[in-house]
Amino acid sequence: MDIDYSTSEMHFREEVRAWLAVNTPKEPRPFDGTEGRAFDLAWQRRQYDGGWAGINWPTEYGGRGLSLIEQIIWFEEYARAGAPFIGVCFVGVNHGGPTLIARGSEDQKHYHLPRILKAETIWCQGFSEPGAGSDLAGIRTHARIDGDELVINGSKIWTSYADLADWQELLVRTDPNAERHKGLSWVICDMRTPGITVRPIRLMSGQIDLCEVFYDEVRVPVENIVGGIDQGWSVAMSTLGFERGTGFIAEQVSLAAHVEQLIGRARETTGTDGRALIASERLADDLATLRAEVTALKAMTYRTVSEVARTGTPGAEASIVRLYTSELSQRVARCEIGMMGQTMLDFSYGMKDPTHRYLYGFAQTIAGGSAQIQRNIIGERVLGLPK
Amino acid sequence: MDLYPSDTEEAVRAASEAYLRDHIPLNAARLRPDGIWTDMAAMGWFGIALPEDIGGVAMSHGAEALVLAELGRYLAPIGTIAMAVAANVAIATGDQALAMDILAGTRRVALGLTEAGGQLRVLEVRGANMVLVTGDNGASLYDAPVDWTINDCLDPSTSQAIIALPPKARIQTTGSRAANHQRLVAAAFALGCAEAARDMAAGYARVREQFGRPIGSFQGVKHPCADMAVRCSAARAQLLYAALTLDSAREDAAFQIAVAKRLADAAAIGNGRASIQVHGGMGMTDECDAHLVLKRAHLLQFISPVSTAMLLAA
Ligand SMILES: Cc1cc2nc3c(=O)[nH]c(=O)nc-3n(C[C@H](O)[C@H](O)[C@H](O)COP(=O)(O)OP(=O)(O)OC[C@H]3O[C@@H](n4cnc5c(N)ncnc54)[C@H](O)[C@@H]3O)c2cc1C
Repeated sequence: MDIDYSTSEMHFREEVRAWLAVNTPKEPRPFDGTEGRAFDLAWQRRQYDGGWAGINWPTEYGGRGLSLIEQIIWFEEYARAGAPFIGVCFVGVNHGGPTLIARGSEDQKHYHLPRILKAETIWCQGFSEPGAGSDLAGIRTHARIDGDELVINGSKIWTSYADLADWQELLVRTDPNAERHKGLSWVICDMRTPGITVRPIRLMSGQIDLCEVFYDEVRVPVENIVGGIDQGWSVAMSTLGFERGTGFIAEQVSLAAHVEQLIGRARETTGTDGRALIASERLADDLATLRAEVTALKAMTYRTVSEVARTGTPGAEASIVRLYTSELSQRVARCEIGMMGQTMLDFSYGMKDPTHRYLYGFAQTIAGGSAQIQRNIIGERVLGLPK
Repeated sequence: MDLYPSDTEEAVRAASEAYLRDHIPLNAARLRPDGIWTDMAAMGWFGIALPEDIGGVAMSHGAEALVLAELGRYLAPIGTIAMAVAANVAIATGDQALAMDILAGTRRVALGLTEAGGQLRVLEVRGANMVLVTGDNGASLYDAPVDWTINDCLDPSTSQAIIALPPKARIQTTGSRAANHQRLVAAAFALGCAEAARDMAAGYARVREQFGRPIGSFQGVKHPCADMAVRCSAARAQLLYAALTLDSAREDAAFQIAVAKRLADAAAIGNGRASIQVHGGMGMTDECDAHLVLKRAHLLQFISPVSTAMLLAA
């Protein structure tokens, strides 16, 4: 065990910090996906041109081929520099791409990976359906084979950025007669194919990031299947593994910075009783606990990464870190609106204030596998409890 | 950077665990055999991070935390905390002979909690000839009074006494190093305690059947068990990280250790309670081991407790 960085890692950090200091966008990210598209793509492209995209992706597809530790350093400095949320590039960079690296064909990798890194294409994730959220194996959108094409009919919901995306990682049922988990396929779908209709959905926080997607006789080449026909379940599981993995490090680092801001604000702000907010024992104790928890979250992340570096897999422990992160970030948001008092009522759609963060934060324990589902996974795969 | 135990560290941990499993099972926490102190000394547990020439094991505080968490898991005698810290205190004052006696287990140190109004609560008093008191400004080792009244403690694995603070310490150190070290060691014990509760509850939930199914298949049981695993995971990662900051004498060591103690205490108490709930009526009985863990958790809270102010210090 060792918490110190090697000389080359420290050197790498300097390099990252210097680059981010000059290149991090000064203006804030626009409110939602529609306005944010151009912003997100320009920022991703700038990172690519600077040599910072796909830090741990293989070099032959445009990545840097560096270690996980270097990736952590990148995310730490990224958050410290206040660099913007990855936005519309999230799916491609954080899980579509990594899934292709793990399971795609050479053609699929060569075509898509560089385009994702260079911000030439936006990806979205079409897994969930109106009748299949937590129960992903219950999906009904189906695809029949017609010559060398799949013909897709059905619908998906909660597809983030579907209205802006070029490609979709789409999970469909290719064998209606097989057992639930067995007859699925993971398909790369061109979002401009005739027969696709997209309906955007507004969230309670005001954003329009999510969409419903309808498929009416949508034709996709069979060669767009990743990992083999009817093998979609295991491919989807690797996608979810990436989604719950290192993509959240930047978020964890900014969570820690956020708690520090709250502590600072509690010291500087006077409450209705004329004393600093932090004089409230209750608030002081909440803040102390939050600071302890974000500190431990960092240690947990380092530990997971060390484990992956040694063993190759994070294992079901990744669900522990994911659950802890999501609930902790909600506790931080709740503490923040608690400090706002009645001013939390001064909210309207389009604003990006702590109330917005609180409202949008409900996604944390729902999206990407709900908190209950994560608990099931921990109970069953970490503790060996029966299904 | 690497927070994964090295092969040597893992070997020492595994050897400790094997010994504990065979010789001091958790369910015998109330009745530890007399010879245990010499055995524990022979395992090297009082001086894992101390030099070999005086009887230490010459490993890091990271390894120490790793091993002592195992002791915590088996509800090993709480006095181990005092022994491990006192040996370091003796070294710091240059009293090598005393350190060697402690490491050999021939001199036994009881654990004094914070002193209030001239009175001191001392734990693990049976057979002890010295008392250690550590505070954030220094640590003192006193000779034990000859005539203390030994009482039971909530945690049935230990004994306690209330004494008047002796007028003069035998040795004394200043600074916060001993307090940090004691907090770290106590955090390791608390983590082990939390893990014991987790494993006991999950083990029971796998086999106990109701409605024709193992109770662990019900989410009302599965989810609290998962929460136990989450608390342990956060506390363990933080404990090891904090231990390493002590090794490299980092500026933030006191803070990191305070965080480790706070989370380990919360995990021990939270898991201790949840484990009793998972065991149902059985969990409330004296025969079931669940209460031993909860009671130990309550005791550990009073050893080098962490204040809100420590965590909020700028
Ligand atoms: C902001 C946001 C972005 C999203 N982006 C995408 C995306 O890009 N692509 C995509 O495919 N999906 C996306 N999702 C969908 C997300 O994955 C699902 O919402 C999620 O899996 C939950 O499914 P559901 O909404 O159908 O809820 P349900 O599955 O109906 O769950 C309802 C409630 O029941 C609980 N529940 C369900 N089953 C169990 C069980 N077995 N045990 C205990 N409790 C259970 C859930 O925890 C939840 O509390 C997104 C969701 C959100 C909120």
